[in-house]
Amino acid sequence: MFHRPRVIPSLLLRKNGLVKTLKFKDQRYIGDPINAVKIFNEKGVDELVLLDITATTDKRGPNLPLLARIAAEAFMPMAYGGGITQFEEIREILRLGYEKVIMNTSAIENAELIREASECFGSQSIVISLDTKKNFFGNYHVMTHSGSNDTKLDPVQFAQEAEKLGAGEILLYSVDKDGTMSGYDLSLIKKVSEAVNLPVVACGGAGRVDDFAAALHAGAAAVSAGSLFVFYGKHKAVLITFPTDEELTKAGVFES
Amino acid sequence: MKQYQICTRCIMDTSDPEITFDENGVCNHCHNFDVNIKPTWRPDETGKEMLEKIVEKIKRESQKNEYEAIIGLSGGVDSSYLAYVAVKQLGLRVLPVHIDGGWNSEIAVRNIENVCKSLGLDLHTYVVDWDEMNDLQAAFVRSGLANLDVPQDHAFYAGVYKFAADNNIRYVLSGSNWATEGILPPAWGYMAKDRRHLEGVHERFGKMKLKTFPRISMLERKLYYPYIKGIKVVTVLDYMPYNKQDAMKVLETLGWRYYGGKHFESRFTKFFQAYYLPTKFGYDKRRAHLSSLVVSGQMTREQALAEMETEQYQPDELREDREYVLRKLDMSEEEFEAILKAPNRTFRDYPSSHEYLEVFRKIRSFFRKFM
Repeated sequence: MFHRPRVIPSLLLRKNGLVKTLKFKDQRYIGDPINAVKIFNEKGVDELVLLDITATTDKRGPNLPLLARIAAEAFMPMAYGGGITQFEEIREILRLGYEKVIMNTSAIENAELIREASECFGSQSIVISLDTKKNFFGNYHVMTHSGSNDTKLDPVQFAQEAEKLGAGEILLYSVDKDGTMSGYDLSLIKKVSEAVNLPVVACGGAGRVDDFAAALHAGAAAVSAGSLFVFYGKHKAVLITFPTDEELTKAGVFES
Repeated sequence: MKQYQICTRCIMDTSDPEITFDENGVCNHCHNFDVNIKPTWRPDETGKEMLEKIVEKIKRESQKNEYEAIIGLSGGVDSSYLAYVAVKQLGLRVLPVHIDGGWNSEIAVRNIENVCKSLGLDLHTYVVDWDEMNDLQAAFVRSGLANLDVPQDHAFYAGVYKFAADNNIRYVLSGSNWATEGILPPAWGYMAKDRRHLEGVHERFGKMKLKTFPRISMLERKLYYPYIKGIKVVTVLDYMPYNKQDAMKVLETLGWRYYGGKHFESRFTKFFQAYYLPTKFGYDKRRAHLSSLVVSGQMTREQALAEMETEQYQPDELREDREYVLRKLDMSEEEFEAILKAPNRTFRDYPSSHEYLEVFRKIRSFFRKFM
């Protein structure tokens, strides 16, 4: 049985530049999105996730002109999230050539938008990003507004709700693990992926290729990483890299 | 209009407006190489001994440091080979420093990754703010000047120096070398190291303030860094035989790949050297690069002439690169077309430190006569 789960770089936009965060804070500038996307494109990655992490907090919509320029560099499927509040924005982003839109704050504040969009454009193009954070008592809560707002909602229940509304995929972020490169939160992945039939994409914490295999083993359908693909070595030097098929096979991520 | 003439020894020709020939048809660049460069270039036993002494000194002075020296690493052949030499032949603890000016090609980042991995090196990257870089790069495109690589080159140079100073690393190993870079006509573009020039052009055509862009002034370069900070730049490759073809063979064992032309590891530089310069200014930098290889004995004149006949760009590749550069700079086709047709400018049309540097050179040569 040949099995090749998706391995997805996720890039964070702040205004016109890319940043990498640590636990959704400490934004470090890593350069120009257009060049980064072109390099990933030439490395032949399966898919890219692009998240504008200041759109919602700045109370603005997606930066469409920039998204158009970025889309021109990518031949692989792209998913965009950040600041989407309206049906028209979804239509426009899909029209620019993005295969999927990702919603987080809107999914909570405007469930109707999810339903409408998935009915109109199909479930495969609607992704819900679940940003989760463990509180003092060890319970997971869903966060919005780039991890700054605690909704007190339970991720499992929310994932089931998103599935009912017609979302086609869940981007499961661990705020606590983000940027730490210390491995995924496997129990969170297990919990959520067991509760829904939707594919769950694990995000937050990947530090080595081996971490992917663990996340897939815990139930994730695909894996995503930020730091691992933009930092090199102990000084976290900005350098775009992507593991070869060989490395992924060796680590048990790909099975042939 | 001068009559066309090409050097009988190298392949420099009258596309350099300032070129002169002797009675045998040998050009001033060849003479300059023989008289001024060859004596300082030591690809022999003397060089080996000198380098050994330098390396000893570096090791002695940097015992306490995690890194004995830094290397500016672009992913190109010179800096990659320098990293190999520093580790494998000189046994130095080096830290490669990469200045990311926003134009890295995939092959450049892959080369950096493979070189660092196979030599067991750490890496430090300084990412130049792209909004500022973009503004500055576009300003130079609008200026009508020949050297559009001033922003990139200046940032590389200043960034590496600043990193050394900030981290108290006293030695910078440079991949600059006479073996492959002995010839470059001054008329083909003003130098990138002049901060006044960089800022003067930006002042005229830029739209935003430069806040973080790495810059280095003449005083810093000539005085502060070398004497106050005690930072020394060592052009390691000038103390050994350095043959480009051989170097590339060695590098390929590290997973390094060639990218098709000098400095083409940068997407902008490829477009600028292979399209903009020949189109707008009518000269081809390959002529100087290949001539350098001819005078240093790495290539015959015939091979160089044959190389000049090859196309640097396939039509679809050129279209793709042109679209990419303009999209990245957020510049319209119409504006760029107008720039190509606008009058060509020289550095004299803009502020520069040229006069100061001339005076500085005169003073230095005056003192050398008496020393």
